[in-house]
Amino acid sequence: MARNSEDFIAGLVADLRPVQPLRQSSGMGLAVLALGCGVAGTLLVFGPRADLAAGRPDALALLGSGLFLVLALASAWAAVDMARPYVGGRREGWGWTALMAATLPLGALIIIAAAWWRGSPSGLALDGANCLEFGLIWGLFTAAALTLWLRRGAPSLPRRAGLLTGVAAGSAGTFAISLFCPHNELIHIGIWHGLTVVLAGLLGRLIVPRLIAW
Amino acid sequence: MIADEATLTRLAGLAQRGDQQAYAALLGAAKAWLQRYFRRRTTPCQLDDLVQETLLSVHRKLASFEPSRPFTPWLVAIARYRYVDHLRLIYRRAEDELSAEQVDDHTDEPQITARISLERLFELLPDAQQRAIELVKIEGLSIAEASQSTGQSESLVKVNIHRGLKRLAALIERG
Repeated sequence: MARNSEDFIAGLVADLRPVQPLRQSSGMGLAVLALGCGVAGTLLVFGPRADLAAGRPDALALLGSGLFLVLALASAWAAVDMARPYVGGRREGWGWTALMAATLPLGALIIIAAAWWRGSPSGLALDGANCLEFGLIWGLFTAAALTLWLRRGAPSLPRRAGLLTGVAAGSAGTFAISLFCPHNELIHIGIWHGLTVVLAGLLGRLIVPRLIAW
Repeated sequence: MIADEATLTRLAGLAQRGDQQAYAALLGAAKAWLQRYFRRRTTPCQLDDLVQETLLSVHRKLASFEPSRPFTPWLVAIARYRYVDHLRLIYRRAEDELSAEQVDDHTDEPQITARISLERLFELLPDAQQRAIELVKIEGLSIAEASQSTGQSESLVKVNIHRGLKRLAALIERG
């Protein structure tokens, strides 16, 4: 590449066009829109849970949905911010939210372990895999929106950006599917919904960095 | 950087709005900073390429600069990313060459070794002496420019160069 560096800079200056700085609010707007698409998709295809439709939501299911929604927003916020790199910035808020949401799978594991200790059935049903599958599918909207946003920016830590994109997508998809999912048990919500977020995070960590390299 | 942070941030904001004069000043300052940043991390023959690749990234990703934040941490993040990418390419290339058994006998090894040795010796000098020698004897700045860049008085820059070179000579003699 090495050309005379004065000529090189002159070439860049001549090529300068006004640019719109990437705004956090625009990125978050895009992420929320994508989350809304996932929710709309779930409600259109499957319809809402019976208790929601009746206006009497179950407390635990509501709590679980709320935690995944907050995790989706917090991790999307961090992912959106990663499009604008700077050294010394801290984007760790999402981690605390993830820890808070992790109380669901941890609680579920404790209940399963206690049941196993007593010799009782664990209560974990395999039909929960549907929630995992559709949670990942409805999360694709968020994954695509965040990946496009990151491609516009300059994420300097692509693997972390990929992980955050995956966690945001998994949480958004889980929130969407939780509006339909008829289960109210902690074991189902903690294991299957929690697993969706973990799996989406791993997939994001593996796939997204290649898509956002610059 | 010679320009202060507030000035650089203002220049970057103006550049985002299409101000070519501000952009030229910004790239000039960024180039000087990048040369210093990469000089310790790469071989002299790769320095210009790395600086230009990073300036090109600055150009392409100008929209990712947030005008309410300082400019230098943004530039450092861009430079660090390009540097890691550069290392990855070098290692990949080296791996490919080794696997194809195409290792060239005419390598830059002596130059690289000399550079590494010099950097190691430099680490044994106090920061102020290192900086003064780098700016004046390697980058070719004048005493006055080096004084402005380091915040040392002109006479102190001279003293630091003299003492640093003397110490380097003693270290080399000692082997």
